[in-house]
Amino acid sequence: MDTARHKAPGAAVPDPGPADSGSTTAPDGAAARHRRGYLAGNQLAPRYAILAVWGAMILVYCLTEPSLFPHTGTFQTIFGSQQPLVFMTMALMCTIVVGEFVDLSVPAVFGFGATILPVLVVNHGWGLWPASIVAVLGCVLVGAVNGFLVVKMGVNTIVVTLGMSTLLEGIALWMSDLNTISGLPSGFQKIALLDVGGLPISFYYGIVLVLAFGYLLAFTPLGRHMRFVGASREVSRLSGVRVDRIRFGSFVFAGLLSGIGAFIAVADLGGYNASSSDSYLLPVFAAVFLSTAIFEPGRFNPLGTLVGIYFLETGILGLQLLGLQSWVSQVFYGGILVVAVTISTLLHRRAT
Amino acid sequence: MSVSQPAPGTGQRHRLEVARVSKTFGSARVLRDIGLSIGPGELHGLVGQNGCGKSTLVKILTGIYTPDPGGAITVDGGALSLPVRPLEARAAGLSVVHQNLGLVDDRTVWENVRLGRFRATGLIRRIDGKAERAAVESVFDRLGARVDINQKVGELSAEDRAAVAIARAMQDHEPGGGLIIFDESTRAMGKSARNRFFGLVRSVIDGGASVLMISHQLEEVIEVTDRVTVLRDGQVVETGIPTKDTSEAGLTRLMLGRHLVTHDRVDSHAQEELAATVRHLVVRSVRGFDLDVRKGEIIGLTGLVGSGATAVAEAVGGAREARAGTLTVNARSISLKPRRDSTEVFIRAGVAFVAERRLDQGLAAELSVTQNLTLPRVRSRGSRLRTGGGWQAAETAAMIKKLDIKPPDPGKLVGQLSGGNQQKVLLGKWLAGHPSLLVLHEPTQAVDVGARHDIIDAIREAAADGCGVIISSVDASDLAVLCDRVLVFRHGQVVAELAGELTEDDIIHATFESPGQSGDQPDPAAADAELNWKGVPR
Repeated sequence: MDTARHKAPGAAVPDPGPADSGSTTAPDGAAARHRRGYLAGNQLAPRYAILAVWGAMILVYCLTEPSLFPHTGTFQTIFGSQQPLVFMTMALMCTIVVGEFVDLSVPAVFGFGATILPVLVVNHGWGLWPASIVAVLGCVLVGAVNGFLVVKMGVNTIVVTLGMSTLLEGIALWMSDLNTISGLPSGFQKIALLDVGGLPISFYYGIVLVLAFGYLLAFTPLGRHMRFVGASREVSRLSGVRVDRIRFGSFVFAGLLSGIGAFIAVADLGGYNASSSDSYLLPVFAAVFLSTAIFEPGRFNPLGTLVGIYFLETGILGLQLLGLQSWVSQVFYGGILVVAVTISTLLHRRAT
Repeated sequence: MSVSQPAPGTGQRHRLEVARVSKTFGSARVLRDIGLSIGPGELHGLVGQNGCGKSTLVKILTGIYTPDPGGAITVDGGALSLPVRPLEARAAGLSVVHQNLGLVDDRTVWENVRLGRFRATGLIRRIDGKAERAAVESVFDRLGARVDINQKVGELSAEDRAAVAIARAMQDHEPGGGLIIFDESTRAMGKSARNRFFGLVRSVIDGGASVLMISHQLEEVIEVTDRVTVLRDGQVVETGIPTKDTSEAGLTRLMLGRHLVTHDRVDSHAQEELAATVRHLVVRSVRGFDLDVRKGEIIGLTGLVGSGATAVAEAVGGAREARAGTLTVNARSISLKPRRDSTEVFIRAGVAFVAERRLDQGLAAELSVTQNLTLPRVRSRGSRLRTGGGWQAAETAAMIKKLDIKPPDPGKLVGQLSGGNQQKVLLGKWLAGHPSLLVLHEPTQAVDVGARHDIIDAIREAAADGCGVIISSVDASDLAVLCDRVLVFRHGQVVAELAGELTEDDIIHATFESPGQSGDQPDPAAADAELNWKGVPR
C-alpha cells in the first residue's frame, strides 16, 4: 500500500527519533557528529541491542558451560579465526554500499585467489611473492569483469555474480585437482600468525581494514559519494557524482579485498582446499546484513559488520561447546540472516 | 460546481466526528486535540500547509497510525475502535482516495475496483469474474459514470482513472451513507479532468454520502466545498467555516497565521554583463536554440507538454543529453552533448540544476539534510581524505536560516521532512554553491504557500547576487511574478517572447493561442487551470 509516505512528519515506525527542533539552532559539525547527536533516548535501543544480546549470550554460555566456555582459549578461537570473513564482508560491503544489492561471487573470488597462490607455489615452483601478486591481481581482474558486466553492460548483478561464482569455483577445483594444496614454506605463516598480545596479527589486519573502511565511508568525499550512489543513482548523477566510475571501482576494490583476504588466509592455513569456499557465503551475508541492526540502524556499516562476525562466531562456538554438531552453524547463520534482514528492512523503513 | 448545498449537518447526527485526537511521535506532538465534524451530504475541505498534520490525520482515520489515547472518532454516532481497524472503518462507510489514486495500471478497471473484495467461489476458490463485473457495473451506474470496465487502468484518461478510484471508494456505501476522504486526489489532474472529477464527487454527495477533501489548491477548495477546516502546526485553527464566508486570502491567513506578503513583481536585477550563453542547442523537438542569459536576469521557459521548454532546461542544466549545442558559463564552454556521468563538468563551471522530481532526482531521503545539502561540493571543498565538518555545518546553517527549513535540524533525514521543506533543502543544496547559472524545473511544484513564498524570495535573492536564472515551469503565476522575460515554446520553437510587466493571463494566452491549436483549448480560463496544475506527470 502506497500512501503519501514522504509527507508524514514521522514514519511508520512509531519513533522517528527525538526531534530537537526548537533547540538545535547551531548545527553541529560533520555527518558523523550529528548522527552521534541522535544517541539520546529511544534511539539507543536498536543501536546497541545486538551488543546486549552478545553480552547475554556470553553470560549464558559461561553459566551453562563453566568448565569449557570462560577460557582464554575460547576467546582466542573466536577472535583469531575469522579473518577470511572480515575481508570477505568488507569486499561485499564495497558493492552493497553503492546499491549493488548482492554480490554472490565474493567467496568464490576469495577461493579463486586462495587456490592460485598455493598451486603456483607448490605445484609449479613459483616464488611466494610473484605467486601472491598473481593471485591478488587475478581477484582484481575478476572484480573488474564483474564491474564491466554489471555497470557497463547493465546485466543483472545476481545473474553475473552467481554465474561468476560457480565458474570460479569450478576453475579453482580444476587447478587444485580437487585436492587440498599445502606445503607452503613455514616462514610464510608469520605473516598471518605472528602472536601479538595473544592473538594472531591477522586479527589486527582485519581491525585496521574495518576502521579504514568505516573512516572512508563516514569522513571522506569518496565515502559520501558511495553512500549517495547507494541511495539514489539519479540524485548522485545530477549532483556531479561519477556514478558509473564509483560502481565499477567498487567491484574492482571488492576483488582486491577478496584477494588480500585470500593471501592472508593462505598464509594462516598454510594452504587451501578449493571446495571450502562455498561455506563462507552465508556467514558473509549474515554478518553484513546484521550490520544494519548495529550502530547505524537501517544502514550497512563496517563496524557493525565486524561486531556481527564475532557475535555469530560466539554463538556458534558456544553451541558447539554445548555438544551440538556442525549443523548448528548452518541453522544459526541461516536463522540470523533472515532475522537480520527483517530487522534491517524494518529499520530502513523509517528513513523513507 | 458552486456552493449549492443547504446548510449541512443541521439538527442531524454527524456523519463523521473527530474529537480530541492527538498524535505524538517520540517527543514531537504533531497533532493536538483535533476536533471536527462533517454532516451527511457535506463536502468538507481540510487545508493547511505542508507538515501541518493533514496527512497524519488521514493516516489516523485510515488506521495506519495509532492516535494518542483519549480521542474519539465516531461515524454516524457509532464510535470506531482506536486505532482504526480498516475493515471496521470500511463497514462503517469510511473510505479513502489517495494522492495517486492507488490504482494498478496494468490491471483492468473491474479488478481495480474490486481489489481487496474479491469473492472466491466454488471448490477451487476461483474469482467469479462475471459477478465481480456485474457488481462493478452497478457501482458505475450509481455513480453515473461510464467507463469500460474491461479496459486496463493504465490506458484510461485522467478523468476515468479518477472515476475508477471514486467507484472503488463508494462501492460499499449504504445508500444515503458513507464518507470518502480525498487526500490531494486532484493533484495530478488537468482542468477538464478536475471538472469531471468534481461532477462525480457531486453525484456521490447527492447520493447522500459525505466527503472530506484535503487539498493544496485553495481556489478549488473555495469553489467546491461547503465548509472548511484549517490546520496549522498540528492544531485546528478554525473548523467548519462556511466556504461562502471566506476567500483564498482569508484561508491563507489562517493557514500561515500571518499575512502573506503578496508577490509583487520587483524590479529586475538584470545587469548588462552576460551570465551564460546557449548556442545551437538541439534536443528533442528543439532545433537550434540560442539564448543569452544576463547576470541577475530571470528567464522563464514554458509551453505545453512536449513543447521543448523542459528539454531545453534539462539540457542546459546538464541533466539531459542534447544532440548538439554549447553552453558558455564563466568563459568556459561546455558541450551540451555530454558523456555519461559528466554533470560534474556543469557543476564545476557554475551551473546548478534544481530537478523537478525531488525524491527521484534531487535528494536522497535516507540521508541527512547536511549530507544532501553539501553533496555537490564534498569533493571540491573537502580534501581527499576528509570531507571536513566546518564548512558543511556553516553551509547547512546558512541555508536553514535563509530558506526557513523546518525543523532546523541539520541531522534530520530528508525523508522525514515535509514536501515543502524537502524542496527548500533541494534549492539550498544548489544555492549554497553560489552558481553563476541556476536552472530550475518546477521549483514550487506541490509546495504550500509559505514554502512557495520562501522559495520565490530565495530565487530573487540569487538573481540579485548576479546569478543568471532559467525557470522551466507550467505555473504561469510563478513565471509572472519572477521572470524578466518568458519564452513560450511550441513544437520545439519559441513562438513568443514576453517581457516587461508580465501577467499570468499574457503567459497563458501565449501558451495556448496558436494557429495550429485552434479549438483545442480556446477557453483561457480552462487554460489557466491547466497551467496551474501542479504535479505534471512525465
